[in-house]
Amino acid sequence: MKHTTLGKGFAVSLLAAAISFSTAVTAGVTDQDILNDQATTDDVISNGMGLRGQRYSPLTKVNGDTVKDLRPVWAFSFGGEKQRGQESQPVVKDGVMYVTASYSRVFAIDVKTGDELWQYDARLPDAIMPCCDVINRGVALYDDLVIFGTLDAKLVALNKDTGKVVWKKKVEDYQAGYSLTAAPIVVKGKVITGVSGGEFGVVGKVEAYDAKTGQLAWTRPTVEGHMGYVWKDGKKVENGISGGEAGKTWPGDMWKTGGAATWLGGTYDPDVDLLFFGTGNPAPWNSHLRPGDNLFSSSRLGIDPDDGKIVWHFQSTPHDGWDYDGVNELISFDYTAEGKTIKAAGTADRNGFFYVLNRENGDFIRGFPFVDKITWAKGLDDKGRPIYADAFRPGNPAEATDGKQGSSVVAAPSFLGGKNWMPMSYSKDTGLFYVPSNEWEMDIWNEPVSYKKGAAYLGAGFTIRSINEDYIGVLRAIDPKTGKVVWDYKNYAPLWGGTMVTAGNLVFMGNPEGYLMAFDAKTGEEKYKFNTGSGIVGTPITWDMDGEQYVSVVSGWGGAVPLWGGEVAKRVKDFNQGGMVWTFKLPK
Amino acid sequence: MNKFTTLVICASLAFAGQAHSRSFDDVVDSGELIVGVYRNFPPFSYQQDGQPKGVDIDVGQAIADEMGLKMQLHWVIPDENLDDDLRNNVWKGHYLDKDDENPLALKKLADVMMRIPYDREYAYRQDSQTGEMVNEQVVMFGPYQRESWRVAFDTEKLEAVKTMAVFQYHSIGVELDSLPDFYLSSAFAGRMRKNVHHYSTPLMAFEGMKSGEVKAVMAMRSEIDAMLFAENNPRYQVAENGFPSIGKQKWDVGMAVKSTYRQLGYAVEEVVDKMVRDGRMEAIFSRYGITYELPALYQDVQ
Repeated sequence: MKHTTLGKGFAVSLLAAAISFSTAVTAGVTDQDILNDQATTDDVISNGMGLRGQRYSPLTKVNGDTVKDLRPVWAFSFGGEKQRGQESQPVVKDGVMYVTASYSRVFAIDVKTGDELWQYDARLPDAIMPCCDVINRGVALYDDLVIFGTLDAKLVALNKDTGKVVWKKKVEDYQAGYSLTAAPIVVKGKVITGVSGGEFGVVGKVEAYDAKTGQLAWTRPTVEGHMGYVWKDGKKVENGISGGEAGKTWPGDMWKTGGAATWLGGTYDPDVDLLFFGTGNPAPWNSHLRPGDNLFSSSRLGIDPDDGKIVWHFQSTPHDGWDYDGVNELISFDYTAEGKTIKAAGTADRNGFFYVLNRENGDFIRGFPFVDKITWAKGLDDKGRPIYADAFRPGNPAEATDGKQGSSVVAAPSFLGGKNWMPMSYSKDTGLFYVPSNEWEMDIWNEPVSYKKGAAYLGAGFTIRSINEDYIGVLRAIDPKTGKVVWDYKNYAPLWGGTMVTAGNLVFMGNPEGYLMAFDAKTGEEKYKFNTGSGIVGTPITWDMDGEQYVSVVSGWGGAVPLWGGEVAKRVKDFNQGGMVWTFKLPK
Repeated sequence: MNKFTTLVICASLAFAGQAHSRSFDDVVDSGELIVGVYRNFPPFSYQQDGQPKGVDIDVGQAIADEMGLKMQLHWVIPDENLDDDLRNNVWKGHYLDKDDENPLALKKLADVMMRIPYDREYAYRQDSQTGEMVNEQVVMFGPYQRESWRVAFDTEKLEAVKTMAVFQYHSIGVELDSLPDFYLSSAFAGRMRKNVHHYSTPLMAFEGMKSGEVKAVMAMRSEIDAMLFAENNPRYQVAENGFPSIGKQKWDVGMAVKSTYRQLGYAVEEVVDKMVRDGRMEAIFSRYGITYELPALYQDVQ
């Protein structure tokens, strides 16, 4: 291949030149562009519609009065036999949409016509067994690159005009159980990524790569006891052990395989210059094997973007025994209290509590339940630490020695969480968070008759149940200063897609029944509804072009919900799969 | 996402995709028997210098020979638990097993899968919510071995291992996320927990014992026996301890076929039954230095 490199590069630059003549200016995405993403309405170039992840747009053309006329202008099919959950948030730059699909695919689409410009299919290894479905949540843009993570745990940077690979880096070994599904973010010229992987033995980490070259800049493990590194002039330099030393909050050598995967990616706030990443639950799942807080599992971390140092941590579920991942997004926002501006951040945890933290130092400001039923904790203490309800901690399978099913514990929320991965949004106009939540609980019991790889094993059986007959999903508008739910919208199926809020006083969200919906941001009144033909588990975006406001959302039912049996599966079993991007605008 | 052992999910996976498992007549007509075995799983099934080796390979070969068929191997990558493995490899196929060039291609499955526990309680387990049988899509049959637990120790580090109590004071290696891991990390109120060292495989734990990281290793009896046999060094010995309060002291291992292809199961069962009774089965295990214990079915008969 080497001898063709020169020719190819030449051809590519000619092509790029041709494109730049035919369209307007197509300048590369800069750090400044990314920092301004939320304010610039003609593009969406980052996951979260801005690195703070507020998913707020200042656009007002589509509003409570006009939204009823919103019409699809085109729909684009991902095609193939590969229709599974589509959890992607599209991005749009210079008239081109970049959107990922299941099985590590990327599409570039002309937003005027819906025409495909190019498609990239990651070539996945034959024997890959990703733990948790085959979804992808989106790309990052930088310079002339489109960057995303693959199921076999690689970061891939594609040329935005051709879809050809510019660089590709292995982040982790897929055979050891790692994969990438989150959208990376770019901060100060570096691509920041976490890792996915539910298998036992995985250790979470956050890493930074030079966005233009793919060179590793720093790595930060998210389990106490592991060394972090920075690369200086090509040399790997030790940069301190996460948590200081091993064994402070873990017994024996369990920190070596402690879990805490950073599978949902992160956000960034330039005011305090920190990255915010959440971490997954600790391994093994049986909490009785690992007495201690098990840092930094089920936590939020404030991380220095320059070298990966953990500046602060807040652990939402110390010594987790329910699979309450702490990965959910931390959204920076400011509010005024007693004449002072508080640099805060909000996050709605799997465990059913909403936390408001000081984003400068991670201090707990307040916390409150955002779901109706929480059994595992009686409340939070003044540091935000849960007050456990011991009767609701799942039992120790090792105590099930009589060969009988152990006693069952009913814990709420279920392990799929009061809120799962689906991002909430925040409006500075209303001062409210729009939180897609679910009301469900789980039975967990010891299952002594269990086998793994031909060997006797101790498993846990569990099943998820809805708490209410008529709904599981609840979209809630929550005041972070008081914990008050200002309005809610109940949905029969569990919600699994993200929300977006606009200055036009609208909250957009899709549901598994297939509808893209818009609500009045102040009152919750349903203003708009359109059936996209398959369930929505992605997150909408909006931007303007030629004086018109556009809204896009990906439709395609899947993700974790259909994988779980019992009553919840019955609610969703008739939803058809799909794989489409829908784009809407108002008629001229 | 979820890390719990997922006992109830398989009944509800509803996406389409035809699977390629075959009836007895199709198997005989094709001249080949597709035998499912776990990948990288010594001493049962593994590759050495590119050649398949192990007890389950030898048993599969003997079955194929007896039926006048050629053995084809279907290597199984283990999922979180046996329910998943049966779904992915015996009755349904894996959702990632897709052929873009030929979308109508059938999914790759084993005709018969080895090393499937033969346990009535497991085989007839019901979904607690729906009452459906969790594994009704497969038939588990043909027990050919009884498996158990065992400890090997370094005689230069430990005088003897008469009870598990010594591991309150001395280190021991286990495979990550195995029953020995759970047992040593939780039994006796966790008094052995701090001495447990975790390894990716029993073989790596054994290497850890040889390099002095740990003084003993706990794993399946067949694994311990085969490693000691291959090492052939009197320094490393089998311990004489029992395993008080461990849930499953012993279990039987057989095979599985898809429930709609019972006729194939009967044919395979007949071969295996003869092998157990005439001593050929024991001879296969003894090639690897493994203690052979008859499954309960045959112990009751004798």
